[in-house]
Amino acid sequence: MVHIHVKNIDVKIPIYDANAQRLIRLPTFGLARVGSRSISHAGSAVVIHALNDVSLDLNEGDRVCLIGHNGAGKTTLLRVLAGIYPPSAGTIQVTGKVIALLGNSIALNSDATGYENIRLLAELYNWPKKNLPDYIKDIEEFTELGEYLSLPARVYSAGMHARLCFSIATMRSPDILLMDEGIGNIDAQFQEKAHKRVDQFVSQAKIMLLASHSVELCRAMCNKALLLSNGRQIYFGDMDEAFKRYAYGTS
Amino acid sequence: MTKVVASTPLDLASATSGHPSLAVRTFKNLRKCLDWAWLDIVCQYRRSKIGPLWETINVLVLTLGITVVASAVFGGGAPADLIGYVGLGIITWSLISSSILEGASTFVRNASYITSTNLSIDLYVGRTIFKTFLVFCHHFMLYALALVTGFVSLSWTSPLALFGLLLLILNSYWMATFLAFVCARYRDVEIIIRNLLQLAFFVTPVFWDYHRIADDRQFIVDYNVFFYFIEIVRGPLLGELPPLRYYVVVLAVTLIGYGLAFLVYRRMRRQLAFYV
Repeated sequence: MVHIHVKNIDVKIPIYDANAQRLIRLPTFGLARVGSRSISHAGSAVVIHALNDVSLDLNEGDRVCLIGHNGAGKTTLLRVLAGIYPPSAGTIQVTGKVIALLGNSIALNSDATGYENIRLLAELYNWPKKNLPDYIKDIEEFTELGEYLSLPARVYSAGMHARLCFSIATMRSPDILLMDEGIGNIDAQFQEKAHKRVDQFVSQAKIMLLASHSVELCRAMCNKALLLSNGRQIYFGDMDEAFKRYAYGTS
Repeated sequence: MTKVVASTPLDLASATSGHPSLAVRTFKNLRKCLDWAWLDIVCQYRRSKIGPLWETINVLVLTLGITVVASAVFGGGAPADLIGYVGLGIITWSLISSSILEGASTFVRNASYITSTNLSIDLYVGRTIFKTFLVFCHHFMLYALALVTGFVSLSWTSPLALFGLLLLILNSYWMATFLAFVCARYRDVEIIIRNLLQLAFFVTPVFWDYHRIADDRQFIVDYNVFFYFIEIVRGPLLGELPPLRYYVVVLAVTLIGYGLAFLVYRRMRRQLAFYV
């Protein structure tokens, strides 16, 4: 049974830059609105309170979009669920195989070709070797990148990156798929395909979390929404209601 | 299976592989690291005509140059007598120094993987170590060349160098793990290490003959662990049996080092994504 159970988690991110202390005293800082209340001093260090008291219960079939301002804590929440950030308080239970697609990519090796990246990630993620040719063929068809797959990943556009990463991440239907803004770079035609694939794997009882600013993308891919603001959970549930509150908050 | 707060990237990654036995997993991980390191080398030299052979040529040029100077300055006869000693010294030293330097920056270099994937962190260390080892293999071709041209000769002690090399690589793994954590958290450390390593290259008998050191400075050789590491590889290849003491010290360093690396790992692994 795949589920995510998050209870009252806090995440505090310590900033270790030697100059962070000085930075924070810049006079203009009082004008900053993006997450400004969430920074504090702990002794000599600067700490960002990225998430405050977030609770979440997700079960099979839940496709949740995370919405909120830049710096609201969307990616942080995904990182916590992926096990990349440890929560400083609260409990978290994640059951199932997690694939995280964060940042702009699953960190493609930019000097390696598309094919080399596929083979590398296939090995790192323990894909069965004997099926690899099938997987590669599937990815070729799905991404429609054609000859670009033989070129180094550094020549890819943001959208091509997103296509390749999305198809690798969803190739073997993970139990839990975590994606953030990078995926917003895909075009409408690929969104359609991505939507179909997500539908397909959610029909196999899976969970997906997607952080995005694109209302269209969220509507196409998700069935629930979580609204975050300043690291706090404002609303969780129906998507229309969440977007209404989000729009209300911004205006 | 259910994971509570202690769920770490390591646990998650192992969960994806369906819990095979430790030995199988270790072997699989080594294989992954080797392939990853191989890809790194391929990518690094993709646009070069002779590729990683540049590594070989670099060391050859350095060895020739230093041999000529060292044989003139430190005495020790004709350059031809010294070239095997200097060459193997430099080859072994570059394995040590690149393991330390690249090891130290491992997590910083892999920051994008660490903050965006849940791969287990030993893969990054393994990637670095295998890469330095692959470069070492390119350097080591010079030894074969020296064998063919007769600058060095095989002796019954030569196979012992394999054991020395194994010890060296075992040690480079803990050094890389330890330093990668420390240097990710404290960025000044890497710069200090870089500086000290430069000094260590001259202090350690890499290219100068350790027999010729003045009696009152004998301690530079006697208490230098780097020298022990070099000598357990170089000595046997040149037909000298390293004293048992060297092996004992190296083994002790290995044990202490792994203890140290484990402590640092246990203390810092959960915070790693914050450091990078």
